Order: sequence, then C-alpha cells, then structure tokens
Amino acid sequence: MTELLKKPILILLVALSTLGAERVLAAPLVELRIKDHLFFPETLEIPADTKIKLLVINEDPTPEEFESYELNREKVIPGNRKAVIFIGPLAPGEYPFFGEFYPKTAQGKVVVSP
Amino acid sequence: MFLNSVVLILQEILEAALLVSVLLVFTRVNGMRAGWVLLGLAAGCVGALIFSLNMATISEWFDYVGQEVVNASLQYAITLLLALFAFCYGTGRARLKSWMLTCMILSVTFSLSREGAEIFIYIEGVLSQPPHIRPTLTGAGIGAGIGVSVGVLLYYGLLWFPRRWVTFCCLLLLATVAGNMSSQGTLLLTQADWLPPTATLWDTGTAIAENSIPGHLLYALIGYEATPSLLQALAYAAGILLILVSHWLGRRRAAGTISHHSTPITQTEQS
Repeated sequence: MTELLKKPILILLVALSTLGAERVLAAPLVELRIKDHLFFPETLEIPADTKIKLLVINEDPTPEEFESYELNREKVIPGNRKAVIFIGPLAPGEYPFFGEFYPKTAQGKVVVSP
Repeated sequence: MFLNSVVLILQEILEAALLVSVLLVFTRVNGMRAGWVLLGLAAGCVGALIFSLNMATISEWFDYVGQEVVNASLQYAITLLLALFAFCYGTGRARLKSWMLTCMILSVTFSLSREGAEIFIYIEGVLSQPPHIRPTLTGAGIGAGIGVSVGVLLYYGLLWFPRRWVTFCCLLLLATVAGNMSSQGTLLLTQADWLPPTATLWDTGTAIAENSIPGHLLYALIGYEATPSLLQALAYAAGILLILVSHWLGRRRAAGTISHHSTPITQTEQS
C-alpha cells in the first residue's frame, strides 16, 4: 500500500516544490523588522497586483506573532529568528497588521498603491 | 497584557474544545468509555511542548515556511482522521471501535499540539519579562476557563437534543471542523507559496468583522473568514463533503453486509 502511494506522492511533492520555486524567483522581497515590540518600517508600500515575499526579522529575544485579518495572514516568529510570509497580489488600499503577542505597540500596515 | 492574554488563549482553546466536545458526545451516545480523551489531551500537551520547543528550527525548514507546512499537514491529517472516523461510525460495527478510538485520540492530539504550541510560545516569551508574568498568567487562566466552559456547555447542549438529532448535529459539526481544517491548511500553504494565490470570493468584513466577538466565535465554530479565497472555499466544501460522503459510505457498507455476524457498538457496550 505504502509502496503504491510512494510514486504519486513523490510526483505531487516535486510538482508542488517546482511550483513554489518558480514563484519565489518571481516575488519581490520586502523586509520588515521587529525591535522592542515595534515594526520597522511601520508602513510597507508595495505595488498593486503583485505577490510579495515578506521577510520578517525578529530582533527581539521574545517571540511575536505576525497577524492581519485584512491580509488573512498569521505566523509565529520565534525570538531572534527570521520568517517568510507571502502576501498578495492585492488590490490598492490599506491592510493593517499587528503583533498578536504585543498588540499595544506592534502595529503596522501595508499600503498598496495603484 | 491581561485582556490580550484572555483573548489569545480563548481563541486557541475554543477550536480544540469544539472538537473534543463533539467527539465526547459521540462517545456518550454510543455508550463507549470516555477514557480515550485523557490520552488524547495528554498526548496533545506533549505534542504541543515538542512543537513549541522546536518551533525555531521548524520555522526555518523549506526556506522559512516550515511552520506553515507542518501546521497544514496536521490540519489535513485531522480532516482525514475525522473522515475515517465518520466512515467507521457509519458502519456501526463494534469491530471498528478501535479504529474510531484511534481516530479520536489522534485528531485531538494533533489539534491540541497545534493550538497548544502557540500558547506555550506566547507564555514562554512573557516569562522572560517579570512585570508581564502575573497579568498574562491570570488572563491565560481566565481565557482557558471560558474556553473549557464553552466546550462543556456545547457538550450538554448537544446531549439535550433527542437522540436522532444528536448524531445528526454532531456529524454536521464534525463536517464543519473538517471543512475549517482543510480551509485553514490551504490558506497556510498559500501563505507559504506552495499553493497559488486565488481571487477573493467576497468581503463580509463590514457585516461581521473578524476581530469582533461574533467574528472570533464564528471562526472557532465554523472557521469564519471575512475574505475567503476561491481555493479556501473549495477546500472548505471538500472537507465537509468528505465527512458526509465517508459517513454515507460507511452506512451503505453496513446495509450491504447486514446479514454478517456484526454487532452494533451500542449493543456490545450496553450488554
């Protein structure tokens, strides 16, 4: 049974990974830092209808959770670590995000310009 | 920190509480022993601890999207386990009881591992900041208390229905949990760029905001999303269908082989 399934699963995984690899190359990289429970920069400006590879660098020793209802994104970033979050393509507008663990200070937004 | 902690822990607990309550109702209605739940909860706590302790390493897998891949795998696994459970339940065979128990234990373990890991990471981070410890832990206790209470209320609420309806309601709830899991898993794989982004289907954010109390409750109950993508909606529908079809297949199988020497679960347990 497992032998039978091995091949299709392998093919599926290879197909998925090549799909991913192509997209990584295509998506522009945007950096976001977390320091003292604040986001730097607070406002990220990105073009409309473009998928973005957001690299979040947590410079705090404490973990943070990047969260945005508008972007439909949620991800824990352990202390002193990096994480990648893909966002978009988005329509022009403002998309707030926040740090779920320290929401009082950790606030920011993505501004999509036409 | 206090209120934030209440909301955060409550959110995480609600999802697992819903699953545990529904499975416990199935257990009760079929006269099975509920001991499995302790095993599931214990294994879930251990799983959450292992997951949270290794989160930093896991996050760096697959070019920094390991967290999404592991979480989505757990969510898809829960969907499949619930489908297998629905099938076994549909057949009504005592012979399949151990399969049902395995499915219930593993699905609770996986669910709790995911939700619990986030709680552990949050609390561990707070522990390094002495002034925050007290309000956070108090908030966490209250959040967990409310979450568990909702689960208990749901359990007794469901048992209050006539027997025929209990099974039907539980099956529907199980189907929405499965739909929610596969939808969330799909969203995570999109976030990781393993699945392509698809068009947003609708925006009900002005009617029910996701960060409002009804929004949070609906999210925990039926996986409410104000702006779902096409792929998410498809995954949600697929999850629901999978449970209903599995249950139907189980029943059909039972009807087809009714003459065999199989005994319904209820009879063996009650005799």
